[in-house]
Amino acid sequence: MMAVSCLTRALRSLTLSQPALLCSQAVAQTKLGTQVTSTVGQCRGFLTTASLEQNRTFWKQREKYTTRPIGMKKTGGRDHSGRIRTHGIGGGHKQKYRWIDFQRLRYEPNREAQPFEEKVVEVRYDPCRSADIALVAGGNRKRWIIATENMQAGDVIKTSGIIGRMAVSANEGDAYPLGALPVGTLVNNLEIQPGRGSEYIRAAGTSGVLLRKVNGTAIIQLPSKQQVQVLETCMVTVGRVSNIDHNKRIIGKAGRNRWLGIRPSSGLWQRKGGWAGRKIKPLPPMKVYVNMPSISAK
Amino acid sequence: MLPETAQCLKTAAPLFSQTVFLKDLRRLSTHGGAGASHLQARRHFGVSRCLAAKVPAERKPRERVEIPGLEMVTYGERMHYVPGLSKPVHPQWERDYKDPRYYRAPPAHEMPLCKDKPCYVYNQRTSALEGVRQALWLTKTKLICGLPPQLLSLAESPANQIPDQDERVQNAIKHARFWDTTEERPGKEKYSNTLLLNLLHLCATLQSSHPAIGRRIFAEKYSLAATWKRGEDLFQIRGQNGLLQNCMDPLPEVSGKQEVNDTADHVLETFYPVSPTIDLQKVNLYKEANCSGFRGDYPYPHAHTLYFLEGADPRCKLRPEQFRAKMFMFTFGNALVRAHNLYGPQPKRVLDRPITVQAVGTNGRIFQFMVFQLNTTDLSGDDGIKNQVWLDEDVELYDFAKVRPLIKKKQVKVPAGLAGYKPETFSKFLALYLHGAV
Repeated sequence: MMAVSCLTRALRSLTLSQPALLCSQAVAQTKLGTQVTSTVGQCRGFLTTASLEQNRTFWKQREKYTTRPIGMKKTGGRDHSGRIRTHGIGGGHKQKYRWIDFQRLRYEPNREAQPFEEKVVEVRYDPCRSADIALVAGGNRKRWIIATENMQAGDVIKTSGIIGRMAVSANEGDAYPLGALPVGTLVNNLEIQPGRGSEYIRAAGTSGVLLRKVNGTAIIQLPSKQQVQVLETCMVTVGRVSNIDHNKRIIGKAGRNRWLGIRPSSGLWQRKGGWAGRKIKPLPPMKVYVNMPSISAK
Repeated sequence: MLPETAQCLKTAAPLFSQTVFLKDLRRLSTHGGAGASHLQARRHFGVSRCLAAKVPAERKPRERVEIPGLEMVTYGERMHYVPGLSKPVHPQWERDYKDPRYYRAPPAHEMPLCKDKPCYVYNQRTSALEGVRQALWLTKTKLICGLPPQLLSLAESPANQIPDQDERVQNAIKHARFWDTTEERPGKEKYSNTLLLNLLHLCATLQSSHPAIGRRIFAEKYSLAATWKRGEDLFQIRGQNGLLQNCMDPLPEVSGKQEVNDTADHVLETFYPVSPTIDLQKVNLYKEANCSGFRGDYPYPHAHTLYFLEGADPRCKLRPEQFRAKMFMFTFGNALVRAHNLYGPQPKRVLDRPITVQAVGTNGRIFQFMVFQLNTTDLSGDDGIKNQVWLDEDVELYDFAKVRPLIKKKQVKVPAGLAGYKPETFSKFLALYLHGAV
């Protein structure tokens, strides 16, 4: 459809009659002699490409949450304009997207601000991420979350937004604010801003450590050993992300990477530079995601 | 050719500056007749955008600012676009005649059926997460595994059996699985349907000895609507389902008064943290209807047995547990509608004559048998008399029906043809069929 409309547009700009009169080719033929030159100066030209519906992300733009797998379209690393945005992507097995609810503390309507429990219905593989995902059901809804290491169908997991005076003894898979957990807990699915949804520590087998709690904030060691400081109301899940043997799998052959949609890197010889070899460098300074109140304001 | 083109150029002279015109003329004179094609070559392809620049990001739609009291100057009167003037806003045109092709429904909150209190609807495509347990809670029912013994004994006696029963049943299976097609093997939807109809036909041959069987009729594609209250919530069963066998006479109740009273002690199973309304469709637009799908003067008012096929709806595949839940809910729905018609829509604590409805589900090999007895229509609270259901699940009629033998490691594991026929499954089927006619 797109191609046809593009072609007609191109042909229309090629016709030599006035744009208003391009009803028939015969008119154009007879007037060819007289109007050749008059149109040349006004010619707008035409585009030889159509806009790429392929690389639009309509499938992502949904209002209502669903647990059904959503059909995806492959982009091949191209953006909406058709140019390569990310190199090394293309092909691979067809995948479907399962909408993960990263905001673990999403209350059901009419049941705000009280802890709730959910039952794990199913733990399964997800093609779109390295970790496994779990379908949890609680109350009147179902949702996908990232599974933790020992999560199994039938488990009951708890989510609470309350920071008590005492640290809770949390089971794996439960979600609490950082302030409610004891120091030294292994955590995953870290939020960096309360209510924003988890963004850190979501890959397979990773976990962070709650190092200390200072003055309404908490300091977490990420899997990269970098330390971040976030507000203590940020939600985390206790435990380690599932699929811990993800780094031990054997790709085996180049073709298996192609199945995953990864293309080979450029074969061009490049001089080894600073990126090669062992590097010894100090840990980067702690990242602060807290808008600390200034001392003068107090 | 040459003077002609020169004349053309003269006519178009105001478009070009004088120098360009001269240059072109000179070129034209040198190239002669090829002038026209030369002009063609000077066309720009894709001039609206230069070729090498970065692609601009997608434009955001401009924000329109509405200033009260300020009138926009539009190009509406001029009837063509003028830069700088704003786009005229025309009121929505509404046709003054009715055209069903362009009918637009009013928004949901303006519809007459819209209500504040939501209703949870169970339809034939609902896949309830907790399966039969959820259905038990929704209908306030006590589950009893296995069919009632007095029912099973019906098919035991030789008077109630079909002559050459086993052989004819096996022929019915073979017909459904092997002989009913010109292709290699029939599909699941096809053979399960054929098998069910074959078995029903076999059972109907008993009409000569049991004339009450003649007082029945089959109905397909009837739509059921049943409404009831459970706790605070309103529930509905809606939709079309399976094959329904209607009867002129009601089925006799399965359990006596004493057993019915004993069900008051039964405690319903809950499944915290999951709510019983999960996976049911929550709607605010609904009509509180109780309709069996037939008119009031229908001569066959009593639902006898519902027959369900697992692969009947290709768009909705239910797992066995969810399939049983669907069978259960629709059996309950039929019984409830009958009770409402008999005793009025007000909930009654104990029905004088319990209503019994049966259900049979199959996927062409595995059968599910269910007998449901509606003892009460007062479903609001968790206490009091409960309904009863007898469920016999996953009964196999045969093990294998292979068109080709299954060969593993050069050994025939399963020979071609029908294997492992189980006669007791058909006797259960026959018992449910004969219930009420003996």
